[in-house]
Amino acid sequence: MSHVALIHAVQDPASSGLPLVGSQNDSPNLETASRAARLRQLVDLHIDFVARVLRNAGSPASEIDDDVQRTFIVAAKRLDDVRQGSEKSFLLQIALRVAAHARRTVARRREVSADESMEMVESAGSPEQLTDQKRARQMLDQVLDQMDSDLRTVFVLYEFEELNMAEIAEALSIPRGTVASRLRRARVDFRERVSWLERSPLAEVKP
Amino acid sequence: MKEPRRLRSESRSPLEKAMLSAGMAYRSSPEARAKTLASLGLAGAVATSTGTAAAGTALAISKVGWGKWLMAATAVGAASAVPVGFWAWQSAEPVPEPIVQVSASRSGGEVKSSRELDTRAPGEFQRHPVSAEPSAKLAEAAPAAPLSVHPKSVPAKPVNRGAPLTAELGALDSARVALGGGDAAGALALLDAYGRDYPRGRLGLEAEVLRIHALARSGQKGIARKRAEAFLERHPNSVLASRVRGFTEE
Repeated sequence: MSHVALIHAVQDPASSGLPLVGSQNDSPNLETASRAARLRQLVDLHIDFVARVLRNAGSPASEIDDDVQRTFIVAAKRLDDVRQGSEKSFLLQIALRVAAHARRTVARRREVSADESMEMVESAGSPEQLTDQKRARQMLDQVLDQMDSDLRTVFVLYEFEELNMAEIAEALSIPRGTVASRLRRARVDFRERVSWLERSPLAEVKP
Repeated sequence: MKEPRRLRSESRSPLEKAMLSAGMAYRSSPEARAKTLASLGLAGAVATSTGTAAAGTALAISKVGWGKWLMAATAVGAASAVPVGFWAWQSAEPVPEPIVQVSASRSGGEVKSSRELDTRAPGEFQRHPVSAEPSAKLAEAAPAAPLSVHPKSVPAKPVNRGAPLTAELGALDSARVALGGGDAAGALALLDAYGRDYPRGRLGLEAEVLRIHALARSGQKGIARKRAEAFLERHPNSVLASRVRGFTEE
């Protein structure tokens, strides 16, 4: 599937394409049942993966449920084009597009509301005292949001999803050397930002 | 090209490790799974007439038709779970907009600060409260009535918010079945009951979408339009928005 087609599908999941399970044009038969079973298995096996990629790639927490739905709806419309065993990679590509769209939407909202006050995020004090996962998640969101999106994507896939560089290169359709370069820069960026948080009692962030 | 070690395995910073762990620990919510299955037209947690397998549900369609398929269909997603084909079958109603659209943000729409971003542990997701206002009072309601719950309207015996999601799914499914069978008034009554039983239900948005459809079907199109406008005002980017947008144009 071309990236243009995938972008279009993400922007309008209801655009013409393969029908979802149970549409009027389906002739209920074993093939439909098989497709439904495959689709259900897709959800059962990969929904956590999709949610995690969306969340770490920039989908706001408040939109995660919707973005998960969008991802699988797009995937369902193109499922027949996906060979067995490649579903996870396919979902990954869709999720990254959905997350990119979500980030752009959030960015537009921030432009509209320019008069919002600066948000103060308090660090957890000394690193040794940090045990609250919620606080860690909040700080992770802050750091990831500040990263360049290209670097963020590679960083998320390597460090959180533990894909190797070849897999990342294939998923993003970029050379492996580019993956290595972005990962190197992303890790430096991440560590510098975390180091800054460790040193600062308060971290000022834009909402 | 040698692969570097994962940061988590080589980091000596507790903060760094905690942040990396938080990134790896994220999981989807039960609601996300239920809604996803519903939006794909797959049976959820409630058993169908021919069994629990989605495959069995699909086969049942050919035997019992669309109306009874709705009875067998489960899970949430309300109207968004109803495939386009069903709406065409109900020929009296115009075919609504496509099931899902990723809509652009609206100017002046809701803006969330980073503080509002979810910092809860995975699995702890809070939904927007659902209006407990009975449908019969809607004719007297102000335009674009807010969807928030007022403490005074909370029933004396609300169901525990921790009630299983399946109970909420079943309640909404009953309303959807009624609506699918042409009983819009019955669907509205069931939705009123849902609102009383689950004043802070996790499926409040789905219930509201279903209510808007039922109001339109029962002839209360003006009220349906007002509630649709209010819904879009609060949730312009919801995956359910496209199911509601058509009612603002009537």
